[in-house]
Amino acid sequence: MKQNFIFFLIAAFLAIFPASAQDDYPTNKEIAKRLQQIASSGNAKLLSLTKTEGGQDIWALQIGRGDLENKPAIAITGGVEGFHMLSVEMALQVAEQLVEEHSDLLESTTFYVFPNMSPDAYAQYHSNLKYERSGNAAKVDQDRDGEVSEDGYEDLNRDGYITEMRIESPLGKYIAHKDYPQILVEAEGRAESGEKRYLKYYEGVDNDKDQKFNEDPTEGIAFNKSLTYKFAAFEPLAGEFPVSQEETRALLNYLFERWNIFAFVTFAPENNLSNPLKYDKSGAEKRLVGSMLEKDVAINKMVSDLYNETVSLKAYNQDNQGKGGDFFQWAYFHFGRLSFSTPGWWVPEMKQEKNDSIPSKKSKITPETNFLAWAEKEGLNDIFVNWTEVDHPDFPNRKVEVGGIRPFKMTNPPYSMVDSIAKQHTDFVVKLAEMKPQLEFHNLKTEKLSGGLTRITVDILNNSPLPTHSEMGERSRWLQKLQIMVNKDKEDILAGNTIKLSGKLGAYEKETISWIVRGGGTVTLKAGAPHTGYASLNVKL
Amino acid sequence: MKPNNIINISVLGILSFLLSIPAGYGQEKFFRAIGTPHKPKVEVSWNRYYTYEGIVDIMEKIAKAYPDLTRMESIGKSFEGKDIYLLTISDFKSGDPDKKPAMYIDGNIHSNEIQGAEFSLYTAWYLTEMFDELDFIRDLLQDKTFYINPTINPDARNNYMNEPNTPHSPRSGMIVLDNDRDGMAGEDGFDDLNGDNDITMMIRKSPTGRYIKDPQDARRLIRVEPEEKGEYEMLGYEGKDTDGDGEVNEDGIGYYDPNRDWGWNWQPDHIQRGAYKYPFSLPESRAVMEFVMKHPNIAGAQSYHNYGGMILRGPGAEEDKDTYNAEDVKIYDAIGKKGEEMIPGYRYLVVYKDLYSVFGGELDWFYGGRGIYTYTNELMNSYQYFHKNEGRGNQEEELKVDRYLTFGDAFVPWEEFDHPQYGKIEIGGFKKNFGRAHPGFLLEQDAHRNMAFTIYHAYHTPKLSITEVNEEHLGGGLKQITATIYNERLMPTHSSQDLKHNIERPDYVSISGANVVTGMVVNDEDFNKVEEQKHNPEKIKVRNIPGMESVKVRWIVSGNGSYRITVDSAKGGKAEWRK
Repeated sequence: MKQNFIFFLIAAFLAIFPASAQDDYPTNKEIAKRLQQIASSGNAKLLSLTKTEGGQDIWALQIGRGDLENKPAIAITGGVEGFHMLSVEMALQVAEQLVEEHSDLLESTTFYVFPNMSPDAYAQYHSNLKYERSGNAAKVDQDRDGEVSEDGYEDLNRDGYITEMRIESPLGKYIAHKDYPQILVEAEGRAESGEKRYLKYYEGVDNDKDQKFNEDPTEGIAFNKSLTYKFAAFEPLAGEFPVSQEETRALLNYLFERWNIFAFVTFAPENNLSNPLKYDKSGAEKRLVGSMLEKDVAINKMVSDLYNETVSLKAYNQDNQGKGGDFFQWAYFHFGRLSFSTPGWWVPEMKQEKNDSIPSKKSKITPETNFLAWAEKEGLNDIFVNWTEVDHPDFPNRKVEVGGIRPFKMTNPPYSMVDSIAKQHTDFVVKLAEMKPQLEFHNLKTEKLSGGLTRITVDILNNSPLPTHSEMGERSRWLQKLQIMVNKDKEDILAGNTIKLSGKLGAYEKETISWIVRGGGTVTLKAGAPHTGYASLNVKL
Repeated sequence: MKPNNIINISVLGILSFLLSIPAGYGQEKFFRAIGTPHKPKVEVSWNRYYTYEGIVDIMEKIAKAYPDLTRMESIGKSFEGKDIYLLTISDFKSGDPDKKPAMYIDGNIHSNEIQGAEFSLYTAWYLTEMFDELDFIRDLLQDKTFYINPTINPDARNNYMNEPNTPHSPRSGMIVLDNDRDGMAGEDGFDDLNGDNDITMMIRKSPTGRYIKDPQDARRLIRVEPEEKGEYEMLGYEGKDTDGDGEVNEDGIGYYDPNRDWGWNWQPDHIQRGAYKYPFSLPESRAVMEFVMKHPNIAGAQSYHNYGGMILRGPGAEEDKDTYNAEDVKIYDAIGKKGEEMIPGYRYLVVYKDLYSVFGGELDWFYGGRGIYTYTNELMNSYQYFHKNEGRGNQEEELKVDRYLTFGDAFVPWEEFDHPQYGKIEIGGFKKNFGRAHPGFLLEQDAHRNMAFTIYHAYHTPKLSITEVNEEHLGGGLKQITATIYNERLMPTHSSQDLKHNIERPDYVSISGANVVTGMVVNDEDFNKVEEQKHNPEKIKVRNIPGMESVKVRWIVSGNGSYRITVDSAKGGKAEWRK
């Protein structure tokens, strides 16, 4: 009987998440299936916001119960970079776990999950020609020479991956790393005699004979370069103006109609969770605000501490705290919401073990050598394509070799590791949700005055370590003020108004408000905004 | 001259004599005024304003009367679903209008700044009616194309005209936003209390008021001295507290600014009031953007606003100062200063320095984002009343205008009204169509002068020709061909902003019919400084052909025979040379 029950459980589990039995990151089709599974649970609804140029759906999963749009919400976004497979898987698993394991939370919190904002680029991982791609399927002239996609990659060694090429040349700037000779590093200082120097390019041919390799591949606009904050116009992958792509517009249009989102959690290369953003006074005071505002940095610090308590991986090489046109900075600087971003995983720091029997390492540690050391420790194969000689039309009679670290391997852990990563991030999301702004009425007092008048006095408390509005959010028209309302006819309110607006309540801050009203019966007080939720209180006069 | 030609000419002479007879016999009612179409096929009164429907009607008439000069198309729909119509004006018989250097003109981006639509329309009307009359206009339309888009805010234009408004409203389009951040959108706008379709001012008698009515002119309220007792207080524009929050008129149509919706240095609303969601998030500006992206031949652009008598260029914001470099400023200055001469009372100014900061403005995108030389004219100014510069909103002068020139047409006299919150008040003041909008009798002149400025601008878009082709025999069956391409106008084929970002493709100078060994751009012919193009030398890529300058291209070819050289420039049009 007991055995049967366990079997039943396993069967049920498999039925719900059949895809988790797989051993590699899911394809776009498999993602759609898993999303449909989640949506069938009843506490989630799946919609397609639009289709990309490449014909892929941009999915939005609404998770919650009841009046979703008037409860505080967290927006979770993955696939912000097309080569970041992990981020899509994390968004999916967080969604699955929220629905399965945190049903209680859905009474008070809404989650909007956008698992993959770069499905066109993401598909490259599963294609016959694998390379780390960011751009969608739009036709774009990346090098702006008047011809579109005239110089893309070529798989010269026919292994299905775009890696690197090295060409022995006295003009080269690269030399082999001392400890990991398969890795090329930039030469520094004096050349040692007999040291081989190399030119280094991505694998391909100079199709348009402009001395540049692969400068205009078949690749369009990158989502994470195309938003409005510090947009780099005319840069490759960014486009001619911000928000030029259908999927970006569809997402933003959807977000601009969700007044209830109080925070974003974004799975992307940018990281302000391992370490909070720094406060820069002069940047914060500029008209074009260039630094997170002071009070918001304090919030970022608090949430970052929470992250580091919850997620075990220690920060290493996590210095990307934002780049021009990215999504996570947009959500804060231009949309006024709390915004947190993490890659979820990175190659951990490999400490050099002090061991006299092994001669100590001679040369500098680079991200690549650290990766190789880590891969060695983990016993991973298939991470490096050995250098092999190829014939190259642009370098006749020269030694041209193709090889290098396989694409995707440094930014995405082996699939077997993702479950524990996703679990920790679900825990973080849940803890963040539990911190959401929360309005409560306290200390209600009704005093009878003569002539049938009543004075109502009440405290409104924000029972949360977070303020109702970030400092940036206070400035934005896209966050509503707190509305404090009493449902009495205007003529019967002698002091006060039917609606009073309040800009903000800080962490655990209260505001006292009073009205003088005429007549008897019951009145209802209501206070809040979509992103804080609403408190209401019936008052007998 | 051959006898054949003589016969032809005399036949033509007789014909033209015959053609002029009917006019001679009938009673002639009109005598030609210089500068204006004499007997236009399309009759339009240029001393009044047109609703959206009126504008479309005139556009249709022009398009119907001049099918060889005009194409009318909808470039998209407004928020309320109106077609945004655009007229393409060019001599269609002398080449594809979308391949000629073009001038783009629009008006009315701010819905209350209406006359830009009439000025744009006047341009379309004048060009078509004068095509057969003036050599200059005929040549112009053979070389150039005008894209004329009279109103890019048709919904709110009609709202401004048909619904109660102030001279300053709605300014935005018709999307209704939540301006006071209370969760409701547009719940407390103006109320036309006296039902006259104008939103004028409310005043109230009050013992603490600081104003009195001017004893010499009861229309005017004047402030009393600090120690004097006043009689009236000002209550603002006509309206009431509709939503019970203790505020009046705090959440009406919009508000957003369509001129903060463009994709160059765009910033959100909290940095600069007025931006909508992201660049081109408004359907009207999106339609214009899509049209411009599809028409790389647009080399010059003009947008019409009011008020102030200004010819403006960017940058819109100080943060964008470096976008405009000296070479482009030289061209802006040359055209802008000519404009000051052509439109007396108008001044050529820079937006961020002389006006205020604009991020994501239309003119910024046209120049910064597309490399198109663009001006914004702020139409109408006080100078046009009495040829004095009395400044904006000079009440003294405006009251004088309405007394001596418009005889009371501009002012709603004060009248009492029972207000639900304020009690007994008076309502009155200047009408919405006074101040920013030209009075009818000033409209046509200013339209013509501003049009003349845009024609000067359009004239100076690049004009390319192959002026010289030299051959030199090199021996061994090889021949060197050097072609000189001249741009006989002020503007280069690529502005320096364009060159900085490679916005537009290079100009192509191609040779066909010859066996090309190699090709090159000649930077200095005297000292043989050349830049070889190894890839595809039949089609030499030239980064730019500067204004009033020439560029030389050279090929080394083998064999003899005839060949053809063509120039193909997105903004400079096409030119050809044959041997």
